[in-house]
Amino acid sequence: MIFQEKTKKHSVANTKPIKSFGLNVILAGFLFCAVSLSAHAQTESEANNAISEAQSLWDESIAAGHEWNTIKPLVAQAKQAFRAKDFATAISLAKEASAQSKEALVQAEYEKTNWVNNLPK
Amino acid sequence: MKKFLNVITLGILLLSACIVNATPQQDKEDFQTFFTERFPQISLADFGDGVYALDQDARDQWEAMSDFPPYEDDLERGEELFNTPFANGKNYASCFKNDGINIRQNYPKFDSKSGVVLTLEVAINECRATNGETALNYKVGDLAKISAYMSSTSEGSLINVVAPSKGNGLKAYEAGKQYFYSKRGQLNFSCANCHLQNVGRKARSETLSPALGHPTHFPVYRMKWAGFGTLHRRINSCNKQVRAQPLVAQSETYKNLEYFLTYMSNGLPINGPASRK
Repeated sequence: MIFQEKTKKHSVANTKPIKSFGLNVILAGFLFCAVSLSAHAQTESEANNAISEAQSLWDESIAAGHEWNTIKPLVAQAKQAFRAKDFATAISLAKEASAQSKEALVQAEYEKTNWVNNLPK
Repeated sequence: MKKFLNVITLGILLLSACIVNATPQQDKEDFQTFFTERFPQISLADFGDGVYALDQDARDQWEAMSDFPPYEDDLERGEELFNTPFANGKNYASCFKNDGINIRQNYPKFDSKSGVVLTLEVAINECRATNGETALNYKVGDLAKISAYMSSTSEGSLINVVAPSKGNGLKAYEAGKQYFYSKRGQLNFSCANCHLQNVGRKARSETLSPALGHPTHFPVYRMKWAGFGTLHRRINSCNKQVRAQPLVAQSETYKNLEYFLTYMSNGLPINGPASRK
């Protein structure tokens, strides 16, 4: 009997901290969800921007007459990863496509005047 | 001292301007001289044999194979197609000078009416269009067979592409020349890097063929293709090998390149169709 009373007292005494801990966990959960949703949205938009930039630079390299055949598959794979919601891969592939297009554009610009170096000597 | 440096710089600039603005005749002379000086033991006509003019072992194998050319059936089919009347009763002969026989050496030519380079393959499809027929694929199949047959009727005739001297013809030629010498693709190679500067050397296991004589033997029967392919199909493959995006066959750029390249081989005999690895 004495033991039961003690136990009852003990449980009543600890109710407040448990409630407060539960609230904290729920709040943290909400916060985590909110942050991860926002991060997800940010990554999605970053991937979208990276693909748009890759597409635009690729078009520029085509217009300059120096398209590399390695760029098209990268852009296609980036778009595929985006559709599969694998935004990190999409960003990485789009960035690689952009980098290659930039190099193709440098090549196009350089060759405008330096092609003459390949004339027979 | 400053004046002296200025004079030298001006001299270099003038010299470069002269090289860039050389006439097609000067270009051809420089081009052919480069190859004949690099390979003095090879006659001008033999450059049409490509790597087989440079590599005796490969030549022996090629000659042995040429006893029974792998393209014979396709060539016969090309002749058949050439002589088969269209639905309107006319045939290919009605579209060309000399009934289409022994004319390959005069193509490509600059067509001042349309303002573009006219290759034999385009002329074949134009002939079909004029007679109400559908266009054929520019790289393979029946068109390559017909073109191969037409080449065979020119065997031994010297390439005689008319040199452009002004206007759009010259612009097309210059565009083809620039394409040939410009580096492209991820590997940063120009046509000239392989087929001029490094001609006769190896790229992996393959001997690099001379650009002089390239257009004499197309369409070519390649073992790899197991059939005939046109010059533009081959250029397409070259582009892929340097990781450049290939263009559409008979695109303006490829036609200009063919114009330049064929003019560089003026005076060489047509020896096509031929077989290659």
